Amino acid sequence: MSLSIEIQKNSDPRRAGAVTIKLIGSLDTETAPELERQMTLCLAGPINDLVFDLAELKFVSSAGLRLFQVARKQMVARGGGHASFINMQPQVEEVFAIIQSLPGIGIFKDLEALDRYLATRPRPNVWPGTQK
Amino acid sequence: MILELHATPGEVMRAVETLQEFAQAQGVPEKTIFGLALALEECGSNVVNHALLRDAQKQFQVVIDYTNNAFVIELRDGGPEFDPTAATDRKPQAEDDDLPGGWGIQLVRRYTDEIHYAREGNENVLRLIKRVSLSADEEKLRNKPKPSTDH
Repeated sequence: MSLSIEIQKNSDPRRAGAVTIKLIGSLDTETAPELERQMTLCLAGPINDLVFDLAELKFVSSAGLRLFQVARKQMVARGGGHASFINMQPQVEEVFAIIQSLPGIGIFKDLEALDRYLATRPRPNVWPGTQK
Repeated sequence: MILELHATPGEVMRAVETLQEFAQAQGVPEKTIFGLALALEECGSNVVNHALLRDAQKQFQVVIDYTNNAFVIELRDGGPEFDPTAATDRKPQAEDDDLPGGWGIQLVRRYTDEIHYAREGNENVLRLIKRVSLSADEEKLRNKPKPSTDH
């Protein structure tokens, strides 16, 4: 099983400072280290929201949950940032039940639902480097 | 079916893929296959990472059996004695995510019906059991004669 990782910086002003990571395939004990590597690079940059698009994620184990937890902690540490998850498939959602109650985790049906939330949310502290 | 595996993450996933293919061939529902795959991934990873410390020279064994609508997955390793069934489920806490193992066994419990641990000689033996409910259509598909490959 394999995992494709697509990272996209959002140009949409509604999601300024957000990065979307699209995961395709299986996030497991074999593939998690590559996501960790790419996520570390990503989190070194000036971002204040991380969005995981899981529409095509077919499998996730605790190795993947651990990385999501790392992302959550880092975003919270940035002063109000969030790790958000969209387009989750039912089987993956069931696995997520273990961590979904943690602070700083946002699960949304799709991008529209996420945008509605972002529009009403108080703006998080901006990570150094994003202030204009 | 018996698989002899080296202590690497890649070998764990090889076992998972073998299980998935085997279960699909038996007409097992996708949701059940997902749970079985997850349980094997978690337990196999535990063996590789904690019992055998990712030493690729070391090996462990996975046995997969499907009889009377019940899956039995047995993992056997020569690592130090460790009973994962003794671990208690932990509620997710904001700051304890670096602790290994807690979520894994929780997921295994969720997706299997029984988990049994035994120390046999110098080996840890973990047996996972999942009873499978097949719908009438799935039973029909399962019992359908396979097309002959004779020419």
